[in-house]
Amino acid sequence: MNIAVVTFPGSNCDDDTVRALHALGASVIRLWYRDRDLGGIDGVILPGGFSYGDYLRGGALAAQAPVMEPLRHAVRERALPVLGICNGFQILTEAKLLPGALRPNRQGTFLSTWQHLRVTRASSLFWGLREGEYLRLPIAHGEGAYYLPPGQLASLFDRGQAWLQYVSFDGQLTAAANPNGSVANLAGVIAGSVAALMPHPERAMDAALGSADGVRLLTAWLEGIRRRSRDASS
Amino acid sequence: MQARDVGLTQTEYAAICRLMGREPNELELGLFGALWSEHCSYKNSRALLKRLPHEGPYVVAGPGGNAGVVRVSDDWEVAFKIESHNHPSYVEPVQGAATGVGGILRDIIAMGAQPIAVADLLRFGTDSQSVRLRQGVVKGIGQYGNAIGIPTVTGDVAYSETYAQNPLVNVLAVGLRRPEHAMTANTARPGHLLVLVGQRTGRDGIHGASLLASQDFQGSEHDTLRPTVQVGDPFLGKLLMDMTLTAVERGWVAALQDLGAAGLTSAVAELCDSSGVGANLWLDRVPLRQRQLSSYDIMLSETQERMLMAVEPERWPDVRALADHYEILATVIGEVTEGEMIQIWWDSTVQGTVSAHWLVRGCPRRDVSEEWWRALRHRPTEAPPVITTIPSLRALVLDVLAHPDVRDRSFIYQQYDSTIQTRTVWGPDHDVAVLRLHDTRVGLVLSVFGTGQWASLDPYAGAAAAVVLAASRLAALGAEPLGLTDGINAGNPDKEESFRQMASAVAGVQDAAEALRIPVTGGNVSLHNETDGQPIWPTVMIGALGRLDDATKPVPDCVGAQGHTLYLVNPGPLHWGGSVAERVVEGASPYPLGDLGHHQRALEAMTQFVRRGLAQAVRAIGRGGLATALARMLLGAPPSLGMAILLSESTESEKLLRLFNEGPAQWVVAVAPEVVDDAVGYWQAVGIELRYLGEVTQSGRLEVDERVHWTRAELLTAWRQPG
Amino acid sequence: MAQFHATVVVTLKPDILDPAGDATAQVLRQMGYLVDDVRMGKHIQLTLEAESVSEAEAAVRQMTESLLANPVMETYTVRVDAS
Repeated sequence: MNIAVVTFPGSNCDDDTVRALHALGASVIRLWYRDRDLGGIDGVILPGGFSYGDYLRGGALAAQAPVMEPLRHAVRERALPVLGICNGFQILTEAKLLPGALRPNRQGTFLSTWQHLRVTRASSLFWGLREGEYLRLPIAHGEGAYYLPPGQLASLFDRGQAWLQYVSFDGQLTAAANPNGSVANLAGVIAGSVAALMPHPERAMDAALGSADGVRLLTAWLEGIRRRSRDASS
Repeated sequence: MQARDVGLTQTEYAAICRLMGREPNELELGLFGALWSEHCSYKNSRALLKRLPHEGPYVVAGPGGNAGVVRVSDDWEVAFKIESHNHPSYVEPVQGAATGVGGILRDIIAMGAQPIAVADLLRFGTDSQSVRLRQGVVKGIGQYGNAIGIPTVTGDVAYSETYAQNPLVNVLAVGLRRPEHAMTANTARPGHLLVLVGQRTGRDGIHGASLLASQDFQGSEHDTLRPTVQVGDPFLGKLLMDMTLTAVERGWVAALQDLGAAGLTSAVAELCDSSGVGANLWLDRVPLRQRQLSSYDIMLSETQERMLMAVEPERWPDVRALADHYEILATVIGEVTEGEMIQIWWDSTVQGTVSAHWLVRGCPRRDVSEEWWRALRHRPTEAPPVITTIPSLRALVLDVLAHPDVRDRSFIYQQYDSTIQTRTVWGPDHDVAVLRLHDTRVGLVLSVFGTGQWASLDPYAGAAAAVVLAASRLAALGAEPLGLTDGINAGNPDKEESFRQMASAVAGVQDAAEALRIPVTGGNVSLHNETDGQPIWPTVMIGALGRLDDATKPVPDCVGAQGHTLYLVNPGPLHWGGSVAERVVEGASPYPLGDLGHHQRALEAMTQFVRRGLAQAVRAIGRGGLATALARMLLGAPPSLGMAILLSESTESEKLLRLFNEGPAQWVVAVAPEVVDDAVGYWQAVGIELRYLGEVTQSGRLEVDERVHWTRAELLTAWRQPG
Repeated sequence: MAQFHATVVVTLKPDILDPAGDATAQVLRQMGYLVDDVRMGKHIQLTLEAESVSEAEAAVRQMTESLLANPVMETYTVRVDAS
């Protein structure tokens, strides 16, 4: 099972992501944004960072990168699992592989802090991550306010695409727990085989650094891929 | 063009003519103007700085290179250095601060090290314009550091009217390298190609070093300085960093130098001078952003995101291919030659010829007599302050916690990514940063501290105390000190009083570093921090780096369990000179520094105490004094815990002086009941006073002398003032 | 007093580096567009009260000089219309 981590010019969480995957025993292939061959790849992570400096809009320029064409094709043709983290989330919405958009934080400034999250909806993409489970992960972004055009929120929840929400330290879904002005406290969404979140699971791999909850999240994603390929081959 | 147009005096001009044996042409004069500026030549400070101790068991590279380097383990070396970007940040706060970060990161990269951390040390005024300046500076630091992917892990901020027209923006960067990837600028050899990598050269920041950073501001001068603004591009900076470090790892770079102040001129001159070689420069080959840049512009442009490499000709195709991969420009713009002369060409015409040696070392520098230098230590003895009106202890504790110099800095540091690169064990919510290295338990402690009012009253003692305080925080974790970097910020050195203040500050750093046996491996001096004749407080920013054998389990800086006993280690005299509390209540007086040798013994004893595992929690006393240290040890503890403090001082006035004394080398320690006897015995044996303070309770509040108390919410509300 | 709408367009001075414009131009070229140069700016719309167009324009110029633009590196144009 091969997991690809794509580096765009300006990606800066790619090394952390590769290190996290290695810690979980995954076999990692590094892709450069010009690569067009996704053959033999079972899952793709678009890591965090400032692709193209976040110039124009976060993710907008990277969404036009050569690698996005075969990626879009593989999602459509073989439901390739894709996980976007932070800037990867922005790239996936700009590429229209996920609904909505990420707008500048409500407070107008970058925000780096620890954040509690709740799994709003279990998904077969994250095997073993149960609905109602809590995670503590760091966030670090300037454009992380999830936005949906009016009227689309209800259907996002109805379709089970609302995946992660920001909550308070005691698990309450409150306005005060919303760090950036995201609609409905949304921190992560799923559409088909594509999932993305603003927090950084790859930075939460060790309790000594504040939390090991990233291990749970990434293990669940890898396990989802493993079971999927096993089911496909059986 | 005349000497004064490039910031040179008539005496300096005469010295140039003597060295050259002729008058310089305009281009040559411009090169001298830039490299003989205060910012590049350190003409007023070098003779003082050379007195700092530079030798130590862990030092790999001391001052003189782009950054100091110390050894952490057999596998890792650390490059670190502080740099100022004060004037540019006043002119354009966002870009000034951003390019400050970019500049110090390239210094670290030039040593072959991967940057892993940034710290910011800031000073602002107290008016509304200063608020905007601060917002811009913080935005700029975050904009660059966040985008290039280097965490900002610790910092220091303080305020005074003195900085209103002269904010201080000092940035410290830390980088890691394998010993075999060590890079310097002194290994260029004749025959090497000079390769310029990165941004196209434009008309950015011409005369940034010689005029912007090396002269005082006059209120109306803003306009004439307009063309000197540089814009940082962290996106390109990231590509340049990755490309450069990859080329270094592959062994393709023979010598490396970043382009900072005075641009290509400084880079080529430093490379040639330190390598003992000359160069031919072909300016017509330098990639330009605008047409019609003159040789003068090209040589002095401070366009950001550029590096200069010396490359063996057979390696050039590899370097070019690597640059192509990262989609950045790499261009051969010259060659290294025998001798020391730099010849500047445009097509087949020589535009100018100067010796690297003249540019780098020829500038007449100011020296001082040993007698004058020694006399800086003689300071008037001050009578201890008498508190005339006794303020309310209850109110003062809250006022000090809420003071801008003490309060929670999260509104600043939350704008910085502090967790990227996954090394941050302790981030900016602690007094120091603790960073682990990957694949080992060994880690680093980075402790930064800048002087305040004390140094304005007594620059020598204030600077020495800043060194001791930064080191006290390393000792609180039992960390092994590796080295220091110092940022000296002061007024116009041509004025005797400002020069004396700057020299006194350097003397304080020298004496403290020598007493503590911690080498100073590099630093920065920023002078001319004056506007309309008003100098800033002389301000010394210290960065101390330490090693932890196990960075994954730092000794807590907050109390952890009921029943633990609290002690004050090495209590200072009953004096609150230079403290925040004194500023809040009634003015300012200098604090008695005390004996540096005694401080050294206290630091050593604390380091060993922590390593023996006798402390459950430790916090070094700093800004805000004992009262603030206690409050912060409680605010980070489980909410049910409280503290019952019993002060041994008898009068109200003495109690205040104890609680708000900010003298260095004092700590609060929490000791578990089962090791209290061992702890007391330990401090008796080492001959350092351990004074009982009280107990950790279950009250959820801070109580003093069973008479005054503060709830956790009260303390938190005071400390977490917005902005 | 009457209400006026003002539009301020802030652009970088020609000699000032524009990293965002450069990166955007690079991607547009990669997409196949024949783009020579891209310069980014800010478009700011304000509604304000003033006695006259000229007074409104003077006020907006002052706001721009002191806050909306940094004259050190940016230039701007102002347009004011009556409501």
